[in-house]
Amino acid sequence: MGGELGSLVALKLEAEPWVGSLVGIDVDPPRRRLRKAEFHLLQPSQRERIVDVVTKFNPHVVINLSVWEPDARTGLAHARQFTADATTAIIGAAAECPALEGMVVRSGIEVYGRSRNSPTRPVETARLQPTSEYGLMLANIERQAREVGSRVGIAVGKLRLAPVLGKHVPSPLGRLLRQPLVPFSLLADSPFAVIEDGDAARAFVAAAACRLDEPVNIVAPGAITALQAILRGKRIPLPMVGPEWMLAGKLSHAFGAPIPDHVVELMHRGRLADGAKARDALGFTPALSTPEVIDHLYAWESVVRIGSIREVA
Amino acid sequence: MAQLIQFPRKAAARVGNTLTEPLRAAWPVFSVDDFGRDPQLVSALSPLAKLRWDVTVGGLQHLPARTGALLVCNSRRWSLSSVYAALALSEAAGRPVRFVGRPDIAPLGPFMRRIGGLLAQPTEVLGALRHHELVLVSAAGTSHPRHAGAVPHDLVGAAVVAGVPVFPVATMSSSLGRAARAEVGPQVRPRRKRRGPLAEVELAEQVQHHLQRMLDAFGGMQTGVAPLDWLAEG
Repeated sequence: MGGELGSLVALKLEAEPWVGSLVGIDVDPPRRRLRKAEFHLLQPSQRERIVDVVTKFNPHVVINLSVWEPDARTGLAHARQFTADATTAIIGAAAECPALEGMVVRSGIEVYGRSRNSPTRPVETARLQPTSEYGLMLANIERQAREVGSRVGIAVGKLRLAPVLGKHVPSPLGRLLRQPLVPFSLLADSPFAVIEDGDAARAFVAAAACRLDEPVNIVAPGAITALQAILRGKRIPLPMVGPEWMLAGKLSHAFGAPIPDHVVELMHRGRLADGAKARDALGFTPALSTPEVIDHLYAWESVVRIGSIREVA
Repeated sequence: MAQLIQFPRKAAARVGNTLTEPLRAAWPVFSVDDFGRDPQLVSALSPLAKLRWDVTVGGLQHLPARTGALLVCNSRRWSLSSVYAALALSEAAGRPVRFVGRPDIAPLGPFMRRIGGLLAQPTEVLGALRHHELVLVSAAGTSHPRHAGAVPHDLVGAAVVAGVPVFPVATMSSSLGRAARAEVGPQVRPRRKRRGPLAEVELAEQVQHHLQRMLDAFGGMQTGVAPLDWLAEG
């Protein structure tokens, strides 16, 4: 509930008539003013406290958004550790709640992987063959949630999000594309799709409301290649052929935009998914297409100036 | 005291814009469609394709206007019949026709995806057909231009699962000349209803027979010099 996506989901849940009370856990305080929700500032490693809070609340629905994308808010090692800890604690605690009817977990289209001859636009029934660290992390979350779901007998919805971009969403892809000089794969320049954070939050609310019990891809319609995105953003494209990606990654890291392996994979092999099922299963249609999300990415101010603070009393 | 050094973003952006302005004019910043096909690139390459193939298209009235369909064409080895037929049919029908059989290795695979190529996998074909796309698959390549090879039944199975019609597309081209032809035949309807995998196997065989009949109807080589035509008949 402290991250941008979590705060957005909480805000939208507060407005839902079917939501009675709401409890959230995160390592950061909420980024938006929440009126109904109760918030607990807890670290992923505080499993006993998390279990205590969740079991005491005894929810009907649990939404697990505790996924640390590598190089978004923290490096790979910490991201892996935090995600594993939080998943164990939240999903484990949810299993102890007698009133629980359903659980919605955040996953990503990285779980399909981009190995050779893997489908260009995988549907939800495609085999999970993650080929990046982030994909493996997400597949692990899905596995744990599925196991708990079958053991306890609850509905488990898995929302496989395309890379989430938003005004305040920490995203290595968004950060990279906003650099003045952006590398792209000259030989491949493969297409990818994204999703805006507001749309992703709406999907979570819809999934919780209908007690979703299957995986669903959440992808904005349309696609774009890295070069097209760079030219849309009026950045300087830097063509790359292969081995120099390592050097580019190091340089980009020094400039504050590390490029994790799943973003390199996206640049080389693309990342698309079939999002048609979301319309049928959730009645959800993204408000923004992929090119529009990219245009919004470049329309955001680098620094939001709020003016001088004056004392009024 | 520490001093805050800011990256000269505006200056860098100004220089970058000046450098990339000519490129921007040559390469409009459009996006690709859901399957990665770039309509701008296809239009840009169309004159080049026409330099190689002068394709006569027929039988378009058989194709559905909006819904998806599976098209199956014959293929002479190394003739790229699915590529030129897909490009010609796209232009004539006014809607994208995606061809099946792109490799998944750079740079050829991504390039073919940009002009409408799909992987030769049933799931890939099924995904496109469910999105009401026209998908062109080619039969097994043959050495004779008027022989239809075996039709891949696993790809035809995608059409059976998606519940879309299947049309044969007879293609003919010359290794040296520009003249080429792509003729869409009427829908191939299965002779009997099957519930299992026999449906796709039998439909694939029927499509092959239809293709062969259409190719036979094309007639032999017509150079205007009879001995040459006889030689071409083998």
